[in-house]
Parts: sequence; structure tokens; C-alpha cells
Amino acid sequence: MKTKSTFTQTLCMLLLFVTTAVSAQKLIDKKGKITFEASEKTFEPVKATNGSVTAILNTETGEMASLALMKGFRFKNSLMEEHFNENYIESETYPKAKFRGKLLDFDYSNLGENTTSVTVDGKIELRGKEKQIKTTLNIKKSNGSIIMQGSFKVAPADFDIEIPSIVKKKIANEIIIYLDFNLQSK
Amino acid sequence: MRKKRYIIFGLLIIGLITALLVYNYIFNSEHRDIASEEATVNLSAEDIFTQFQKDEALATANYLDQVVEMTGNITSIEDNDVVLSSGVQVSFNSQETLKFQKGEQITIKGRCVGYDELLELVKVDQSTLIE
Repeated sequence: MKTKSTFTQTLCMLLLFVTTAVSAQKLIDKKGKITFEASEKTFEPVKATNGSVTAILNTETGEMASLALMKGFRFKNSLMEEHFNENYIESETYPKAKFRGKLLDFDYSNLGENTTSVTVDGKIELRGKEKQIKTTLNIKKSNGSIIMQGSFKVAPADFDIEIPSIVKKKIANEIIIYLDFNLQSK
Repeated sequence: MRKKRYIIFGLLIIGLITALLVYNYIFNSEHRDIASEEATVNLSAEDIFTQFQKDEALATANYLDQVVEMTGNITSIEDNDVVLSSGVQVSFNSQETLKFQKGEQITIKGRCVGYDELLELVKVDQSTLIE
């Protein structure tokens, strides 16, 4: 009887330890970088960068989430930035883009200083539309944080964005999105 | 006859210069300079945070892209960013954060970019220190 209670006690302690360890496995980047480019040759580059994107990774489950505020995308050309916000993204109505997904076959303990390719599968939500994204990310550990880089393509039509015919030649049909996150435990 | 030709030529040149200026104004105009703009509202960091938490759509309509002046206590510092009153993430243009300390009360001016529900923070960029 005595041994049983000590056993339960140890089990409880162990369980408590495990749960706290699990809840601590969140890595966060508050200042992640996302750049998108929809440039066409011979025309002015259509490109913008957001340097304060949020990314959160649960290293235990591989689940990740990211959020970018549309007003945070800065263009070189101010008129382009205005058109992006007012005509295409309508950032007053749809102020953010969100991503929710999961790293497939991700094992945090196997991750080293060398770059590993990991597939991420999830959904982007923008302008009230959802789009499935599956792409390969390059991930590595560096000084206790995780560096995650990658790119994928979307089309304006995926999010019901209409490009007027006058500027159609100047904006590419495929938009490349580059991401660069540095996730740290907080 | 000759005089008329000069006038037409002169008018053409003036027209061309105006066209170039207008083109330049529209297509190469400068970005907004938040630091030199007058703030539209003046409030505390807690206040704007509670407004976004309570009704995000309304607060977005009120503050998005607006120049706001706000006061709060520094709860964390990271690179060029500080968090005020655990509710507003403020990004500075320059290395201004170097002279700050946790717990200090500061007033800043910046542009409101929106609400980040993952971190539960209102984001403000292109900020400058007022005091």
C-alpha cells in the first residue's frame, strides 16, 4: 500500500514535470521578415517587405502560426504602397494575413546547426479567403534560436484580388513570397 | 510670323516641364514622414490596447494608419522595439531603444499598424520619442 502511494506520487510529479516542459516549447519571432515580389521584367519592381511579422512554433507538435499586418508592408514607391493598401489588399477592411499550419515529420531534437528541409502544410487567410499552402522550409538551429527560411507562390486570384487591365502587364501573375524567421524562446 | 513660332515653341517647353513635374510628383512622391506629422490622438498605451481588445473592427477604423501619440511603461525591450504597458509594440526608426530601461515611462509618436492577436499586441511603427 505504501509503495503504491509513493508510486502515484512520483507519477504525479513526473506528469507535472512533463506538462510544464511541454507548455514551455513555444518559440516566437516578433520581428520576422516577409518580402513579396510580383515584378515583371522591364517594369518597375513590385516588391515590399514587412519587418515585423509574428511567427510562433510549437516545437513539440510542429504546429506553427504566423501573422502579418498589411499596413506593415513597405514599398520603395509610395504610390505603389497606397495602391496596394487601398485598391488591392483593402487593408482597412482586411488588415492582416494569417497562416496556420504544421511542420510535417518535424523532430525538434534532431534539428542541428546544419540546414534541414522540412515541409510545412497549412492555410493562409487573407481578404476573407483561404488558400492551402504546402512548401519546403529550410530550418536550422543557431545560438539557441531557430532560423526558418523559405518561399512559396500565390496568385492574386487566390484571394479574389482583381488587377485592372491597364496595370496587368506590370504585375506578375505569380507572386513570390519569401519568409525569414528567427524564432526564440521567450 | 517669326514671333508666333517663338511663342508656340515657348508654350511647348512650359507644357513639357509641367508634365514632367506632375509625373514626378505622382509617381516618385516621397513617403509620409510620420515624425513630422501632427498626432491625431493622444492616449495611454493601456487605453488603445483595451480598445483593440474590446472591439477590434472599431478600433481599426479609428486608429489604422493614424499618427498616434501615447504614453506607457516599458515592459520589454528588443532591438529597435519596446513593448509599452504589455499591450503595444512600438518600433523605432533609429537605435533609440538603447537608452531605455525597463519600467521607464515614455511618450512616443508613431503610426498604428493594427492588432496582432497571436501576441495580443497593438503594433505601432516609424516611431519617435517625444519624452
